[in-house]
Amino acid sequence: MPVATLDPFFHTRGWQPFDFQKQTWQAFLAGKSGLLHAPTGQGKTLAVYLGPLAESLDGSPGCQVLWLTPLRALAADTLRALREPLTELAPHLEAETRTGDTPASLRARLRKKLPHTLVTTPESLSLMLTHPDFQEKINGLRCVIVDEWHELLGSKRGVQTELCLARLRAWLPNLRTWGLSATLGNLTEARHSLLGKAFANSVEISADMHKPLIIETLIPKEIERFPWSGHLGTRLASQVADEIEKAKVTLLFTNTRSQTEIWFQELCTIRPKWKNQLAMHHGSMDRAERDLAENGLRDGILKCVVATSSLDLGVDFSPVDQVIQIGSPKGIARLLQRAGRSGHQPGSISRILGVPTHALELVEFAAARDAATNRNIESRTPLKKPIDLLAQHLITCAIGQPFDPDEMRREIESSHSFHDLTDHEWHWALGFISNGGTALAAYPRYHKARLENGHYTVNDKRLITQHRLSIGTISSDPSVSIKFINGHTLGTVDESFISKIKPGASLIFAGKQLTLIRFHQRIATVKPATRALKGQVAIWGGSKMPLSSELAHAMARQLQGYGKPTPEMTAVAPILAIQKKWSRLPADDSLLIEHTHSREGEHLFFYPFAGRLVHEGLATLVAFRISREIGESIHTTQNDYGFSLTAKRGLNLDETILRRYLSSIDPLDDLIACINTAELSRRQFREIARVSGLILQSPPGQKNRSQRELQSSASLLFEVLNRYDPDNLLLIQSRREILEKQLELTRMTAVIERLESMPIHLIETKNLTPLAFPLWAERLSATLPAGDAASRLESMLRTLNVAADSTRQS
Amino acid sequence: MSPLPSHPSLSLLADGVVFLTLSATLIVADVHLGKSAAFRANGLPIPEGDTARDLARLLEIARKYRASHLVIAGDFFHAPSGITPELVQGLEDFLREIAIPVTLVIGNHDLRIQNLPTALNRVHHLVLEENIHITHDPADTTSADLHLAGHWHPVVKIPDGKRTSLRMPCFLLRENTLVLPAFGSFTGGAIVNPIPNDRIFVALRQHVIELPPSLIS
Repeated sequence: MPVATLDPFFHTRGWQPFDFQKQTWQAFLAGKSGLLHAPTGQGKTLAVYLGPLAESLDGSPGCQVLWLTPLRALAADTLRALREPLTELAPHLEAETRTGDTPASLRARLRKKLPHTLVTTPESLSLMLTHPDFQEKINGLRCVIVDEWHELLGSKRGVQTELCLARLRAWLPNLRTWGLSATLGNLTEARHSLLGKAFANSVEISADMHKPLIIETLIPKEIERFPWSGHLGTRLASQVADEIEKAKVTLLFTNTRSQTEIWFQELCTIRPKWKNQLAMHHGSMDRAERDLAENGLRDGILKCVVATSSLDLGVDFSPVDQVIQIGSPKGIARLLQRAGRSGHQPGSISRILGVPTHALELVEFAAARDAATNRNIESRTPLKKPIDLLAQHLITCAIGQPFDPDEMRREIESSHSFHDLTDHEWHWALGFISNGGTALAAYPRYHKARLENGHYTVNDKRLITQHRLSIGTISSDPSVSIKFINGHTLGTVDESFISKIKPGASLIFAGKQLTLIRFHQRIATVKPATRALKGQVAIWGGSKMPLSSELAHAMARQLQGYGKPTPEMTAVAPILAIQKKWSRLPADDSLLIEHTHSREGEHLFFYPFAGRLVHEGLATLVAFRISREIGESIHTTQNDYGFSLTAKRGLNLDETILRRYLSSIDPLDDLIACINTAELSRRQFREIARVSGLILQSPPGQKNRSQRELQSSASLLFEVLNRYDPDNLLLIQSRREILEKQLELTRMTAVIERLESMPIHLIETKNLTPLAFPLWAERLSATLPAGDAASRLESMLRTLNVAADSTRQS
Repeated sequence: MSPLPSHPSLSLLADGVVFLTLSATLIVADVHLGKSAAFRANGLPIPEGDTARDLARLLEIARKYRASHLVIAGDFFHAPSGITPELVQGLEDFLREIAIPVTLVIGNHDLRIQNLPTALNRVHHLVLEENIHITHDPADTTSADLHLAGHWHPVVKIPDGKRTSLRMPCFLLRENTLVLPAFGSFTGGAIVNPIPNDRIFVALRQHVIELPPSLIS
């Protein structure tokens, strides 16, 4: 029994193996694959790693464990954690990382010989599949461990991982795969997605030892009468500073990068003495700047780090003893993940303090605590059959080794994502990578993979290099680097933000007051501001994350008064009392609609509690249907709780009519009619064009002159494909992805169906109720452009009242 | 319509071309023939269609306005790798059918193209009536009364006040230089950053209109 060989490791530390660790070792040694779910800091690394390690003490050579991590930044920490038992139990064995950050010298060494344990990312694994000798190098591989599988699941990177694993399993039928995941609502599906056809011989192990978790909320001393959304709520900053004072090390999470900048500035102003103990961390900051914050946290020299989701993952920051969440937690899993950043040791307590930025967020925190206690946690749905990724992966495989199409199809279908691949899709993908389309519609003079002796292969060196550079699915938007004159890079901002700032004006970025010197060719050169100016805080585009269904339902339960009284609900009670008096409280099993008048005309407020994106779709849909009949233009707004319609007249409708407008008859047709889906798909196409290899990636730092002739924008490609190859599956994929991503179509369809079976409470109110007010005040509602360019321009010209004769004719 | 009182014979057409009525000269810029073929030759799966379509459009416009001279203000072609036998054949057919002199003012993309039909007259700098000069690059300023150029692929961005905006290919008149939009159907555009006194013209259905400055600023 090799498990006994692990004993010394635990004895010297005075530890006892946990039950789930023993279970995992035994399952592994019995030849099984599986998924282990546990909160962070529970010794799950040892659970999945020590099994393969014990087995390889028999002295077999070569690479035996492949550890996949979703974040390059985690690789170094993981390596440290794995080397600890390795040096003790098997000092002769090596572990290394191989990611995009790995220095060229180490990469060259790894090309020759792989260590016993290799820590890598899905992208680097794909890249290794393009090396012809990779199969031979890993023929002793026992196990692949996929860390933070919940992070990959539901994204194209997850599917990329699935396909890479399918390749490895085709080579090594006895390969075991172990996934590590945080708690999810769909763990079985997550395991299925990880293992594909290998699901049959697998287990799910729970390390959920009900780690104590405390969710508290900072109750504002004064509750505003109305829950105003849209202000950033730094008014609780001094109370927050007091809480930071009390703890040793605090992680302060916000929901957006801009809020991170704002809170950092605010805390610096309130507590100047913390100047050297405060840091910030977000995804647009340069790696070196982020490293400063991470190292400061690990070493315990910082008092507080203000961060976005860029710090959600993995990295072990043991000194952190308090986590603060500013604003809506949006989801239960997310709140748990963030809470887990504190008390990162077995046996310690995780604490999170919620800071509401408007009154209804008090209800959200109470609801999140309730749902977390009841283990009502969100699911992450795996992606189905992204064709762009299939095209990329097939080229990856063909570069590594010529493949037989039938064998390859079986391999692809052994993954969960592509298990129901159709003949049409498969032949289309083969055509796309070889001659540009199906045999009849081949693209002249296009070749990538060639069919030779019944096998697809890529032998053009230039194409191989090109493909290696473009492996992966992360497409970053074109952004502008922020640099000091000496060349030191601070990070990146959106072009739309920086182009509005004039040279000489100041801005706030990465917690620094800066003055813009010039902005030229995607580089904004800055210098530290000489005097404290009111600079503009950097803003990044990108959609706001919607409230999860689970949290929305939990909120409705709270509003209906289920559960024990909580400080949050007590605090928000005066506002809810007004809502109840003027209208009623929304519930989970009925739909509340309010109708009211104001100077602007008539308003309808709907409260389905289904999240911002679904509300945006519903608002557009209902507005489209109503305006078709009453011939008035309707203005819409939405938030996470509901949506509103405003029109000059015509909204005084009865329940039967409203029900008809909310009905599910062809919502998709109506949605496509009222939303400019073509325009939206065009935007979504960028990522698809990148992944499928329609757009070339320039190697970092060097702009190849000859490649300039091959650059084109995704929207141009979208037009060309629409015109000359409208059946291209990538176009269809972009339409599907945009409906899902922009409007959460699946969730929206479910919501419409749910609403149909619910009673409607239509209430005439004299004033704007506490729930209606934020919707009314939401001035920043984006309107999706409708109509073609000509009609939009005409309407703008009409608005301007510059009717030249020639513009009126249509 | 002519945007310039000094040149009443100049008109901007909704097809993104300039027509000089006095000499019946048709001027287009940035056709980029063979662009998709160049992409395919380099392993990017883009369908064919643009080249034949663009030549056909050009022929149609020339006939519709009874042009007696066609001037390409540079970048007629995209890249050497896009010059396929089919393109050369299509071009020869086009030159025969259009049956008027065709002048190519050489653009940066045309520099490396060889073995073109002799019927295609090639120059670097063309001077027409009313002291109208044509070069490919607007930066090649001339002492012209009016300078026509291409190269920039100008596109105007019109914010609609609802956090979205409209992008349209446009004619840009800056001082004495009129920059034409790209004619090719597989060409991108670069958004114009207007400076004071710029005038911008776009096609709206069958007409070309000047955009009121308040729409662009």
